Amino acid sequence: MSTLLAASLATLVFCAPGYPGAAGDAQPLVDRFASAAATAAGWPAGSLAAVYDPTEDGGLAKLGGSEAVLAFIPFPFFVEHAAQLHLTPLVQADMADIGPQQRWSLVAKSGRVTDAQSMAGFTILSVAGYAPGFVRHSALAGWALPADVKIEATGQVLSALRRVAAGESVAVLLDQTAAAALPTLPFAADLKVVTQSPELPVAVVAVVAGRVTAARAHSLQTALLAMGRGSGGADSLAPLRLRGFVPPKLPSASAPP
Amino acid sequence: MIKACGWALLMFALAACATLPPPAPPAPPAPPAAPSSVPALAAAIDAAAKRSDHEPDSKVRGELAAQADRDAQACLALEPQAAACLYGRGIALGLEARARPTRAGELLGKMLDSLAQAESADPAYDEAGPARVRALVLVRAPGWPLGPGDPEAGLAAARRAVELRPLYPPNLLALADALAKSGDVGGARENYARARAAALAQPASADREEWLQSADQGLQHR
Repeated sequence: MSTLLAASLATLVFCAPGYPGAAGDAQPLVDRFASAAATAAGWPAGSLAAVYDPTEDGGLAKLGGSEAVLAFIPFPFFVEHAAQLHLTPLVQADMADIGPQQRWSLVAKSGRVTDAQSMAGFTILSVAGYAPGFVRHSALAGWALPADVKIEATGQVLSALRRVAAGESVAVLLDQTAAAALPTLPFAADLKVVTQSPELPVAVVAVVAGRVTAARAHSLQTALLAMGRGSGGADSLAPLRLRGFVPPKLPSASAPP
Repeated sequence: MIKACGWALLMFALAACATLPPPAPPAPPAPPAAPSSVPALAAAIDAAAKRSDHEPDSKVRGELAAQADRDAQACLALEPQAAACLYGRGIALGLEARARPTRAGELLGKMLDSLAQAESADPAYDEAGPARVRALVLVRAPGWPLGPGDPEAGLAAARRAVELRPLYPPNLLALADALAKSGDVGGARENYARARAAALAQPASADREEWLQSADQGLQHR
């Protein structure tokens, strides 16, 4: 009975700090995805609920609950909290516009930053700023930042780029979508990409604290990898801008504990 | 991830921000003729916006958006530079963005352009409506690069609206929203409170009740 009850309360927690979208707006989309994924995996109907939280704190609180069995999270969140939450990656998201991997770009005012050491006293702003470990050791692993560089989260990337162009001691770490749009800005000539990350996963689906049995995790992994191939699950993927999923290919430094 | 969710933010209440002048006198009992003057067309767009705001059926919302677009085009054919028509086109584009979320980015960009033209033509139109509605769109739409949202520009637009019509409650509500988005909690609270006081000074009406409700919600969440 307790197993049945636990199964009925199993929840997939979506969390995307820094990106637009309120919980209420996203709920129908994540509900549809969870239902399609559970069906494809052969899990009992209604056995997988879903919830979306746009904040880091809210996501952490939800993932800390015993009903949270799966997490669908951006890679920076995974890097920052995998050890704390005991996350085991199942699959990587394959995004419709950028694929399963992306490069992050560090943008500074043209001529202001020549190397990592010239960033002493700078602040790095980013949608991934809530994950300073990701910024320092994944995105900028080859760019040894001075110790006094501050890393801060922002959801207002345009305002941050204006501060860069105005000559403040600020740099912005952009995801691939934003970096590709840089030329559209009227002050693009004042900005320069000073370094890029290696290719890194965009988002990960992970098991939380071993709360899914190996057999169920395997069936879900198989089902997710099949979604989007052929007609399977396409309706539930497109609203989330997903093309499908690929096997996890994480950089060694962010391997699960 | 989940960038598409941002577009759901467009489902905001256009009727609350677009309070065009009162409609023309009631139509006669016989089937009403299609509006043919600038004020009548502007009133028809306003009515479509208000209906759309409370309409649960997406198909009906699409029809209301199409009708508002036809009325805006007819208005612009009569007076291409009239603030009422440019403003009406902006509102009609907002309705279309709501009905066609997949084109929302492009439509909201055009909406902002149209509202900017209306503001140039007559910034005081509809109690500083062009700046007020621009502020709401800029504050609530997803930001660059996903959409035209720009909280800084939204705050500047809201300040312009309040400067022109400082006692009109929706202008104060827009300024409070913009301040809240920019992280100025104290400023937001102050302006929600000012909006509440300004609404209480108005005669009782359904609009006043909505303004009070919005102000109270803003005060509760800050």
